Amino acid sequence: MSIRDRTAIVGVGTSRFVMKTPESPMRLATQAFKAALADAGLARDDIDGLAINIGWPLGVDYDRFAEVCGLKIRFADQSWTHGRFVGPALQHAAMAVASGLANVVACVCGVSFIQERGLLGGPGDFEGTREEGGTHEENPVYGLTAPAAGAALSAQRYFALYGATSEQLAAVPIAFRKHAMLNPQAIMRTPLTVEDHQNSRWVVEPLHLFDCCIVSDGASVVLVTSAERARDGKEPPVWIGGMQGMRAGRDEFLFAPPGLGIGAQRAFRYTPTEDELSVYRMAGVDQTDIDALYTYDAFSPLVWFVLERFGFCGLGEAAAWTQTGRIELGGALPMNTSGGLLSEAHVSGWNSIVEIVRQLRGACGERQVKDARVMQWATAWGDSTIFHR
Amino acid sequence: MTGEYRKPLPRVTSDNRPFWEATKRHELRLQRCGACGRFRYPPAPVCPDCLSEDAEWTPVSGRGTVTTFIVMHKVYFQSFAGDVPYNVVQVELEEGPRLTANLVDVPNEGMTVGMPVEVVFDDVTPEITLPRFRRTS
Ligand SMILES: [Zn+2]
Repeated sequence: MSIRDRTAIVGVGTSRFVMKTPESPMRLATQAFKAALADAGLARDDIDGLAINIGWPLGVDYDRFAEVCGLKIRFADQSWTHGRFVGPALQHAAMAVASGLANVVACVCGVSFIQERGLLGGPGDFEGTREEGGTHEENPVYGLTAPAAGAALSAQRYFALYGATSEQLAAVPIAFRKHAMLNPQAIMRTPLTVEDHQNSRWVVEPLHLFDCCIVSDGASVVLVTSAERARDGKEPPVWIGGMQGMRAGRDEFLFAPPGLGIGAQRAFRYTPTEDELSVYRMAGVDQTDIDALYTYDAFSPLVWFVLERFGFCGLGEAAAWTQTGRIELGGALPMNTSGGLLSEAHVSGWNSIVEIVRQLRGACGERQVKDARVMQWATAWGDSTIFHR
Repeated sequence: MTGEYRKPLPRVTSDNRPFWEATKRHELRLQRCGACGRFRYPPAPVCPDCLSEDAEWTPVSGRGTVTTFIVMHKVYFQSFAGDVPYNVVQVELEEGPRLTANLVDVPNEGMTVGMPVEVVFDDVTPEITLPRFRRTS
């Protein structure tokens, strides 16, 4: 039996998003949690599930969070501490509710990337020393370290294969900066131009500073419950209409679409099949129904890759496709309308899930996508969830 | 080489030890499946194509092409501080697998995807020899 429309998001909350704060991730998480409860009109004791993707040492773990907030949890789920698991954590929450393991699951993300930035490359990045390479192709023996380097490997090859350029890539952070300028909660709210992008320092060439997401602190909480409970909620439910899981295997490199030929990936011309995009079938929609698309924009090339992976444009076409405002508010497919990780904050993607909910409630003011009905979360690593009102 | 080598060294495991023993002899050897004949890298206890455990560490040509490259500008490891901006490349060997390494003789602005290269060996410590690559004409 499909999970289509059997669960919904009924409450969202956030802390402040900041570059520097004396507040602990736990304090930020408790603030977001209380905000989400108030938003949903639920009591603390209604929460009996927790789903978390970023725990120690970057963020708040399930056991401590349950203790701190006095929760009685009967479904606890926590992944490897990586942003990529935002989609899977949300999916686990929905699956737990749909299968009766919990009534209301709180997806909790309270993170401090600022305090722990030494984990993101260099000697403090223990994961990057994994034998036979880290998960972003790290190989410290040759000085290849930090997630940005993995995204740079993919960007360079993409540029070479398709003749795309760094100037074209600038369209991505510029679009999201425009969105952030309409979002009082966003951290980066000054205008960004192609010249600013091109003149910004290299982090890992061919990626400039503005191709890399913000390093920030913040918390977001998303409450998932059953269709029955959702109908009695304080706010209109945002339905989880369809999902597909994260991909792994020899054809997968986290920061590339299949076929690009990074690391162990085969090099071939990838065209997604209907089966590989089963999220649309489950939700009963197709790409043309999507009013806005949200993705994990840790690095700007990931935005191109998700557009191609999910068939919004053809292979090698994303560079041209993202010019002329197509992914901006008012464009054919607005993306990351809160500003995303590139300009709102790095709350591991949960800030974008919160944005989807606010958009589908019609609560986004100046940056509202007109008449939004269906929105999609999708990542370069292949997981996706489709939401509707 | 002057002084002690301070950069990270490979994590030698029971699965990859023959690779590093070979490079120490200035040989590049990869696992070749005894059942289906395919080369594989990184090292693994079974063949990803047929799951056979039967494999031989077989010499490879050391020739290949650059499939992608980057230039690291930020210092993450202090031991690389004197090297920035330095390159990292991925090289697809003639036998198929790709290796991550550095190009030793190409200026950063001269690197291209598709550049033909061949392996060279760098004895960085008495125990460890790193394969790197240089341009072939
Ligand atoms: Zn085999």
